[in-house]
Amino acid sequence: MMDQELDRTLVSIFNEMEKVDYQQKSPRRLRVDVAPEALPGLLELLKGKASYVHLSAISCVDWIEEEEFELVYHVWSYEVNSLVSAHTRIPREGACYLSVYDLYKPAGFFERDIYEMYGVYFEGSPHMEKFILTEWNGPPPMLKDFDAEAYVQDTFNWQDYQPDWLKDLEEAGGGVEIRPEDVRR
Amino acid sequence: MSDLKQIPVVAKETGKERTNPLANVFDELIRFAQARSMFMLHYCTGCGAIELPPAMTSRFDMERLGIQPMVTPRQADILLITGYVSIKTLKRIILTYEQMPSPKYVIGICSCTVNGGMYWQSYATAKKLNEYLPVDLYIAGCMPRPEAVIEGLRLLMDNIKSGKSEPWKDYYQRYDYYLGNQQHLFGDDWQTPTDIIGEAEHFGLMGPETEGEHTRLLQQHQQPLEPHKMRLK
Repeated sequence: MMDQELDRTLVSIFNEMEKVDYQQKSPRRLRVDVAPEALPGLLELLKGKASYVHLSAISCVDWIEEEEFELVYHVWSYEVNSLVSAHTRIPREGACYLSVYDLYKPAGFFERDIYEMYGVYFEGSPHMEKFILTEWNGPPPMLKDFDAEAYVQDTFNWQDYQPDWLKDLEEAGGGVEIRPEDVRR
Repeated sequence: MSDLKQIPVVAKETGKERTNPLANVFDELIRFAQARSMFMLHYCTGCGAIELPPAMTSRFDMERLGIQPMVTPRQADILLITGYVSIKTLKRIILTYEQMPSPKYVIGICSCTVNGGMYWQSYATAKKLNEYLPVDLYIAGCMPRPEAVIEGLRLLMDNIKSGKSEPWKDYYQRYDYYLGNQQHLFGDDWQTPTDIIGEAEHFGLMGPETEGEHTRLLQQHQQPLEPHKMRLK
């Protein structure tokens, strides 16, 4: 269970801010929905006042129909042993957001990864160059409107299927010993 | 001895007449020796690598066939590619392959090297390995058991013994085709540190398709190779 006193600290933090909507998902998980302009301030308060010192991930969700990206900042406290997920939504077109690198150093990696996979640019992040997909020049591949299958179909060729492969094996003295239909009875 | 010299000895591959009456016997002997002593570079790209430790060690014991793992490409005969090949890895595989001395053999293990396997719709994995490298044989399966790996290696040994396994020559003879496919993935400025055309000339393996439009494109931007400077700190 979340400590009663610290819970009060959190509540006081949320009361300090406008446009914050929070709900307790489970004893150790708290979901906070926050406006994009309030998120860096919220993280600063969470880190400074409520011991949420570990940014364990930043995730990104592409809501293509609403034309928005959802950024989720997961911060963990070692003192209360609980996770706060701060959700925020930014417009999808020309997506750009503020870096939290000055607050949490690991954010540099997550932001670089999100920029590569979703194309969300983070202002103030130290390394915005390519990260894992160094050979990739196409659109950010995790976007919902990137059709990987169509890309594969026009980039690569397929091996010819050889339906007589079993005949060759049987000629060489091999073959299938136990057929699948004998096993699945 | 004069009778022996009159026997025409024609090499199967080149068609040239050779003076030594025992030439073909030597060829066979060399091929036999080659097939029984092979060093394998296992390029463990994916999950198929997990089947190699049992195949190599005492349970299935690859060494009884004369096949040993080797740590460097320059001393290896077989390049074993175990699992999916991402485009980033493919670059490294080609660099590794080109460093290996001839004759060299490539084995693709797992379904992924054949046709992309379960990554068939992934933008980041290459599908058909034999478009980029000449592959001697594929061992299909997801993943193939060590028995299958050993069976495949025995087949390769038989092919070497009978002189059938020569796709490595194909890389020199049809370099333009392989280079074209590599450029299609890596961009037009793709260059490896090995001079394949120079090697083909040296070994007498120039074919009609060694040079073509893709090699001309390579030669346009190719930068001469310079040795690394040796420095003592």
